[in-house]
Amino acid sequence: MTAIDYLQFVLAPQVVNGLALGVAVVLVALGLTIIFGMLDVINMSHGEFYAIGAYAALALAAAGVGFWFLLVLVPVLMIPLGMAAERLLIRPVFGSKDRHVTTLLVTFGLGLIVEDVLKIIFGANTQRPPTPIPGASEMFGIILPNYRLFLILVGAAIVLGVAYVVYRTRLGAMVRAAAFDRNMAASLGVPVSLVYAGTFAFGVGLAGLAGVLLAPIYSVFPTMGRDFILLAFTVVIVGGMGSIWGAVVAGLLLTQVQALASLVISPVWTDPIVFGTMVAFLVFRPQGLFGRLGHA
Amino acid sequence: MTSAIIKTLIGGLLAATALSGGAFAQSGPIKIGVVTPLSGTYTPIGQQVRWGLELAAKEINAAGGVAGRQVALVFEDEEANPAVAVQKAEKLFQVEKVDFLTGTVNSGSTLAVAQLAERNNKLAATTVSFADSITGDKCSPNMFRVNARAEQQSVALAAWLAKEKPKAKVYYLGPDYEMGRSTVAAFKSSAEKTGSATGGEVFAPLDSKDYTQYFGQIRATRPQVLYTSVAGNDTVRLLTQLQDFGLLSGLTVVGASGTVTSQNITAIGAAAEGFATGVGYSPQIDRPENKKFVEAFRAANKADPDLYGADSYGLLFAYKAAVEKAGSTETDKVREALRGLTWQTPQGAKTIRAGDHQAMQPMYVVRVTKGKFDIIDNVAAENAIGPDACTRF
Repeated sequence: MTAIDYLQFVLAPQVVNGLALGVAVVLVALGLTIIFGMLDVINMSHGEFYAIGAYAALALAAAGVGFWFLLVLVPVLMIPLGMAAERLLIRPVFGSKDRHVTTLLVTFGLGLIVEDVLKIIFGANTQRPPTPIPGASEMFGIILPNYRLFLILVGAAIVLGVAYVVYRTRLGAMVRAAAFDRNMAASLGVPVSLVYAGTFAFGVGLAGLAGVLLAPIYSVFPTMGRDFILLAFTVVIVGGMGSIWGAVVAGLLLTQVQALASLVISPVWTDPIVFGTMVAFLVFRPQGLFGRLGHA
Repeated sequence: MTSAIIKTLIGGLLAATALSGGAFAQSGPIKIGVVTPLSGTYTPIGQQVRWGLELAAKEINAAGGVAGRQVALVFEDEEANPAVAVQKAEKLFQVEKVDFLTGTVNSGSTLAVAQLAERNNKLAATTVSFADSITGDKCSPNMFRVNARAEQQSVALAAWLAKEKPKAKVYYLGPDYEMGRSTVAAFKSSAEKTGSATGGEVFAPLDSKDYTQYFGQIRATRPQVLYTSVAGNDTVRLLTQLQDFGLLSGLTVVGASGTVTSQNITAIGAAAEGFATGVGYSPQIDRPENKKFVEAFRAANKADPDLYGADSYGLLFAYKAAVEKAGSTETDKVREALRGLTWQTPQGAKTIRAGDHQAMQPMYVVRVTKGKFDIIDNVAAENAIGPDACTRF
């Protein structure tokens, strides 16, 4: 293989494909970092909410709803689900002393139940919605499917939108205030319990949106929630809990590490590298790249 | 009072055991134990095994049974777990006193059950497991295999490929575990013997999300053929992503028989078109015996038979032929009768090779056309069987 061949056929596509995967990971991690970082809930069922979003898109598409409308409809439908999960499962254990352990176990159990319910309703076989934007584009000899290109752009738009809401609006300020000190926020008139439920539901809605967007690429099956959950948690920890920019930087960085490392070593070893990075961060820089412990 | 009841009970039980062990043994039904996955991931395979055996037992019993005795099937769930399979097989041998055992799916279960059969001095057969070692370096005098093993499949596929794309450059992509590595190695050795060149190989982790990271290497190699042995969801992702990236044009994709199945073919959609593989059975085989079998199978189960159903169906007829030839169900006599036995199955005549207990059978190459497998080539039994690697007997 010549150097030009290597650059054009191997290195450059690897970086671009890594970028598309990175955007997918960031999309899943976005909802997780909000729930984890702002509400201090370790939501192990986040992957299953992502799966519910994908299945909802599949079912609604079969009923004749167009893809573009699904991008709005599915996240909106996920919000009452998220509210209900927060009220019925998270809140009863939220006040306990071992909040991390109890929320982790409750959401883990919820994830297992959702997985089986999806299997009972939709069957165990893989399904796949058609790609909404077919075809591929070629730039400098690098071929990228149009839908992945679209995903990169939409992903960027979603991140900017969420960052704007969290950091630049009054609503976002209320969420951050409630996360920082719930008693102080409550005494200043912030409806803390509503804000908590709403924030959880917002994170769940984002997971559902990721499900709609990624289903055409990664296909839909009951255990699909496990696909991204570990990588998403890694991204949240490395980026800094609750930090949106942290999730973006860590998501893109880790997937690039994975993509480039798989050129030199066996792809099986890229997972230990990624999770090793997470362990290193937990030991040496627990606040992550952009996180400040205690600040959302 | 209580002790008297217990004594009566024990007495009754002993009498019952004595009866079933003695007087009934030669005139009662022939019991065949079936240890097969009835729950878990492999349920669809266990289902086919069960349907195939039940249909065969019904037909044999209706025609007068085996040497005048009826056949009774006793099912146990092995959960596709060798440890469970051993436990259930032990129960069938010791408690149910079965004469013959079959049904194991997982190759590990089959190997474990073979050892158990040796200890119990009984015979067993698999109708599903692919691993070459079962009738190769880990062969057992008490285990038979009536389905095609991995090597028969790859030999048939390589023979077709040499005709379709002579001297093609092949790229290999397998899942990174025992099955993936052994299937790639087997096909590579068959393909290189028939003149194909190896462009490169990569092993992707099981349950990979994104195969695009390997596409650069595939593109740079410029292969004419891609061989893959991924399965389930992995196939859906690999083939659809290859299609999205425009890599499927001009590329012949071939693979293991479990790569594209009725479970994932719908999800793969158009990306499955042209996929070819080597198999021992297809419902489309154009023989009168097969047409009759497929009709009866559909009528009984409202589903098409697959290779597992057909091979399991065929097994009971081999056992019937062997017992009638031996004139007894004794292990040593039946073993001798099975060795070298030729009998008719839906997919054609099969012969059990005496040297390793592997059935020789005609092999077929099937290819996906408009979402369904079509038979496009066949390879004679002798050309696909491969060398006898069993040295234990």
